[in-house]
Amino acid sequence: MKGGAGNIKKNILTAISYMIPLVVAAGLCMALGQVVDSDVRNSSAGLGYYLYKAGGYGMNLVVPVITAGVAYAVSDKPGIAPGLIVGFVCTEIKAGFIGGIVGGFLVGYLVLAVRKYVKLPKSMQGLMPVMVIPVIVTALSCVLMYTIVGIPFVWLQEALTGWITNLQTGSKIVFGAVLGVMACFDFGGPVNKTMSTFVNGLMIDGVIGPESIKFAGSMIPPFGIAIACLIARNKFTRAEKEALKAAVPMGFCMITEGVIPIAARDLVRVVFSCCCGSAVAGALCMIWGTGSPIPHGGMLTVPLFDKPLMFCIALAIGSVITGVILAVLKKPVTEEDEAYDDMGADVLGMSSGDGLDFVIEKH
Amino acid sequence: MKIVGIAACTAGIAHTYMAREKLMRAAEKLGHTARIETQGTIGIENELTAQEIAEADVVILAVDVKVSGEGRFKGKTVVRVGTAAAIKNPLELLVKIEKAINANQ
Repeated sequence: MKGGAGNIKKNILTAISYMIPLVVAAGLCMALGQVVDSDVRNSSAGLGYYLYKAGGYGMNLVVPVITAGVAYAVSDKPGIAPGLIVGFVCTEIKAGFIGGIVGGFLVGYLVLAVRKYVKLPKSMQGLMPVMVIPVIVTALSCVLMYTIVGIPFVWLQEALTGWITNLQTGSKIVFGAVLGVMACFDFGGPVNKTMSTFVNGLMIDGVIGPESIKFAGSMIPPFGIAIACLIARNKFTRAEKEALKAAVPMGFCMITEGVIPIAARDLVRVVFSCCCGSAVAGALCMIWGTGSPIPHGGMLTVPLFDKPLMFCIALAIGSVITGVILAVLKKPVTEEDEAYDDMGADVLGMSSGDGLDFVIEKH
Repeated sequence: MKIVGIAACTAGIAHTYMAREKLMRAAEKLGHTARIETQGTIGIENELTAQEIAEADVVILAVDVKVSGEGRFKGKTVVRVGTAAAIKNPLELLVKIEKAINANQ
């Protein structure tokens, strides 16, 4: 594909797809480091220190990888090097994730512009990819980031952090509930990733409460559905019970996608009950002041939380609410359901709209 | 129709493979043949061969993210959708694609 105009969402999703394994690797290394060495922040050697340190470096790479990912999606390979550098600039000036994403577009479109407008004699074409593009694009976009483009995002990030830390109880409930719903709404899809990107940014700035809501919202769907299945076994097909056996351990590690096959047959009821449970759990997390200093890892990470016990209670309450609501709402399985073949069923939209719109291109 | 394609989603662990499976099963039901490559987070699997691409009537890209190797499809008719469409209603999608291609020719 040439360029990336009109493909903003695809470009951001591409960056996020590169970010996910990075966040998981870095987050779990940090978590493991803290498990091995409980005073890891004051250590200077040993297994715990190594893991924690490595994980910390990984977290510092998150914004650069996002910026480079967007730049790569827009302008292909030449975007990567300048993108990584501009991403570090965004981290340094605290422009956050949003700044990093915008920086990626800046780099990407500058690469495309340089390729289009800078003409070199044929004999010097080799200089384009190794010198002209990287140097011009990096220099221009870094200066722009420091002086003009980055500034509003620095303000935005500051305002956001200030606003969240000073929320009153009423707003905390609403804020926590909204984040909870977003975290579980599409079982690891783009809404979840948007929420995740947002709370990861806050976590890096030291606001760790919302991060714990992500944990709750990501784990409630598998746990809640499992509870519903225990309460009302006749309302789940054999295939769904089979799928749950994989979905629960995946959920334990904070991978929500395992429930998608179960949600697919009965989308509205499953999403509704998961959202109810997650909203309550999210609100409780905010009120009780739970927090996660680590972006991923599921139950393995919970011992390192602020107020881990309160978090577990919020998670349990949310899961039970989801389970009970779903057990009540779901209809008993019929023969027809057992033979259910989902070739034309509803599944939550992943990205490109809900219709069957497609584009035909002659390559 | 002979169909080849690529499936790729954001997290690269679930929708990618669901889209592949749905497209292949729908194609089979409609009497087409389909070979779908996946580009998940693990990397490329079931990679399309040059011969398969050369013989294909249409290339279906069920992708939410940038995929690698689009240069392989030079000269082909390429249909671009999201994984959601392929998972949600693959039968109707393939029927619509077939109609659109026939109308184009």
